[in-house]
Amino acid sequence: MSETQNESDNTPVVDIEDNDQALITRRELMTLLVGAGATMVMAVTLSDPIANLAHDILQNRPKPQESAYHWVMIIDLSKCIGCDYCVYACQATNDTTPEMRWNIRVEDETPQGDIFHVTRPCLHCHNAPCVEVCPVGATYTRPDGLVMMDYEKCIGCRYCQTACPYGARTFNWYERNEENPLVPEWGRPEVPRRQRGVVEKCTFCVHRIDYGLANNLTPGVDPEATPACVNICPVKARHFGNLKDPNSNVAQIINSRPTLRLREDLGTEPSVYYIPPEGLL
Amino acid sequence: MTTHAEPLYVSVVTPPKNGRYSPLFLVWMTGLIGALGIGLVSGLHVLLNGLGVTNLTNALPWGLWITLDLSAIALGAGAFTLSAAVYIFGMKQYEAIARAAVLVGLLGYSSAMLALFIDIGRPDRFYHPIIYWNVHSVLWEITMCVVLYSSVLVMELVPIIIESTFLRKYKLAQRLSHRLHSLMPLAAVFGMGLSLLHQSSLGATYGILTARPIWYSPSAPVLFILSAVAAGAALTLLVTLLTGKLLHKEMVPSNIITGVARLVGFACLAYLYLKLWSWAATSYYSHVPDRALGVEILDANTPYNFTFWFGEVLFGALVPAIIMLWGRMRRNHNILMLGAFMIIAGLVINRWNVTLSGFVIPMDWSPGVRDVFPINTYSPALVEWGVAIGIVAYSWTAFTLGVRFLNLYPEVRSLRRRAMSVVDVPPISEPIIETPIVATHMGEVNPEEPIMAMPPPDIAPTIDETPPDEGDETQKS
Repeated sequence: MSETQNESDNTPVVDIEDNDQALITRRELMTLLVGAGATMVMAVTLSDPIANLAHDILQNRPKPQESAYHWVMIIDLSKCIGCDYCVYACQATNDTTPEMRWNIRVEDETPQGDIFHVTRPCLHCHNAPCVEVCPVGATYTRPDGLVMMDYEKCIGCRYCQTACPYGARTFNWYERNEENPLVPEWGRPEVPRRQRGVVEKCTFCVHRIDYGLANNLTPGVDPEATPACVNICPVKARHFGNLKDPNSNVAQIINSRPTLRLREDLGTEPSVYYIPPEGLL
Repeated sequence: MTTHAEPLYVSVVTPPKNGRYSPLFLVWMTGLIGALGIGLVSGLHVLLNGLGVTNLTNALPWGLWITLDLSAIALGAGAFTLSAAVYIFGMKQYEAIARAAVLVGLLGYSSAMLALFIDIGRPDRFYHPIIYWNVHSVLWEITMCVVLYSSVLVMELVPIIIESTFLRKYKLAQRLSHRLHSLMPLAAVFGMGLSLLHQSSLGATYGILTARPIWYSPSAPVLFILSAVAAGAALTLLVTLLTGKLLHKEMVPSNIITGVARLVGFACLAYLYLKLWSWAATSYYSHVPDRALGVEILDANTPYNFTFWFGEVLFGALVPAIIMLWGRMRRNHNILMLGAFMIIAGLVINRWNVTLSGFVIPMDWSPGVRDVFPINTYSPALVEWGVAIGIVAYSWTAFTLGVRFLNLYPEVRSLRRRAMSVVDVPPISEPIIETPIVATHMGEVNPEEPIMAMPPPDIAPTIDETPPDEGDETQKS
């Protein structure tokens, strides 16, 4: 039916048979096959180098294998009495204001209604959201797991504050020129004040760690090489050390006692472990 | 096809040399200059005294200015859609509006960059993203794209400036203009790629943050780009129609208005479609505790629910989509302008809601059962409003001056027929049709392509190379 219509309408019908050319010539077929083969060979041989290159460029994740250290803090919530000593020691040592504390304490309760205290420094996450989002790489992860700030790079966009799940980052809203009332009672400033307009956060007292390692001290054992908040705790609720050393205090505690990390569901893998109070976990 | 060294350009928007500015124009400009002054004082206050003068806090570090950035960039999207239409999809007739879209785009992007400059803590380091790269950061990608795309927009605008001002008298400027114009298709491709990247990444800025359940969503980037396509073209449409109304001129042929309105309408529908499913999947069918609690907090403490359904969905997208796509509605330009305005308002409400909603809900990281953290609140400080007003005034001032001094609408036609003096009336008994003002880019006249503004050949005189001064005679009222 349709054929007759076509004929009657005199519609030109393109017919491959009538067309003197074949669908594909031998030459074209060979070219195609050789091309496909060459592409496959190249894909196989080059896939690894390209993948590695892409990995190097696109992954700025910490490279823990490059370091003999992974600095970890353990906070024993069953021991913490909420005295705020760690908060004040940090404020004096790192010279912060009460509004921009690097280490804070909140009061929480267990399902049974028992009150306990949570103190929170920067958690120095392995997959730190702040490191991922910083547009200029002003915050970065050291091979030993510390999440650091480069105050000279920071532009103050505050995206890291937005991204941090723990509210661990504070911004320098003002030029700092006030006196620190906690000095010298709770310690002396060991780092310079930060400029107006940059973000800052807890460093695990990195200056002490680096000083200690340079002077054959063991961070977590020798007080000069240990974060101020750990040293001052009156009930020894805070522990600090190298998780990569199986004999360190932190490795032994983590291996022997149940611990939790904050918001493990987010996959950030913090370097701060908590020993839960009774009734939690 | 002939290429003229001297562009075939008839000035229609510059005021007559011996004419006076209308009182409305003077009032408008005075108001804008006042607003610019407010912005300047507020901006200096922030730059000198730091961001502490704002109402932003560590728990809520982004506010009004980020809403302004997001809105300005989205509203500048008309430039890439219409440039793409002209230079990539071969819809040459849209050049009648594409130039205005380019100016609107550049003003949107420069407004956003101004706001960001004030908003960052260290404005003196604004260039850091260009030299210190973090390729993981969507914000880095956005910064690079915005910088590059703004250059593309400047490149697209320079020929318009050259041909519209005294610069066209200089050989060098002409050559530059011609060279840039030959790069337009490339600029359009480049611009579309950059726009598709960063317009969606702006949504990803929020969408990738796992810690904020109200933001964390794979649809955020797509919602951002769809709303930007709709609202960007809507703003171009609105300013074009408004300009025409104030100047009593038809800035672009009506079929172009129809085409753009339909594009806006379909973009609105696509946006609504995704928004509906995004809402259904995350808020209706899902009872994930974090998100459910977040929505509960928002409903109890903010007008989020009302502004979402009425501001963003009903009056921000659905009603305007009907206006844009229903011929009878669309033909009434007052209703069309209202529709475009509703989309723009809906977009601004959406960007505000997105930014604030995530911050209002506190992040509860404490392992216990108590609600430890207070709900965050924010209302912009006076100085924040001041800066925002100044930046908006900047873009409005620049657009007003652009309409007055640049040949933004190459196919503009006067609607003031009675105003023509008797001497100018051509001796035709047919309805009076003015000398068509036809100026394609750089004076390239393609005889094969009918130019939309040209009246039927039987009554129209051929394209008249009237010197600009004489051309102005017809515009006097």
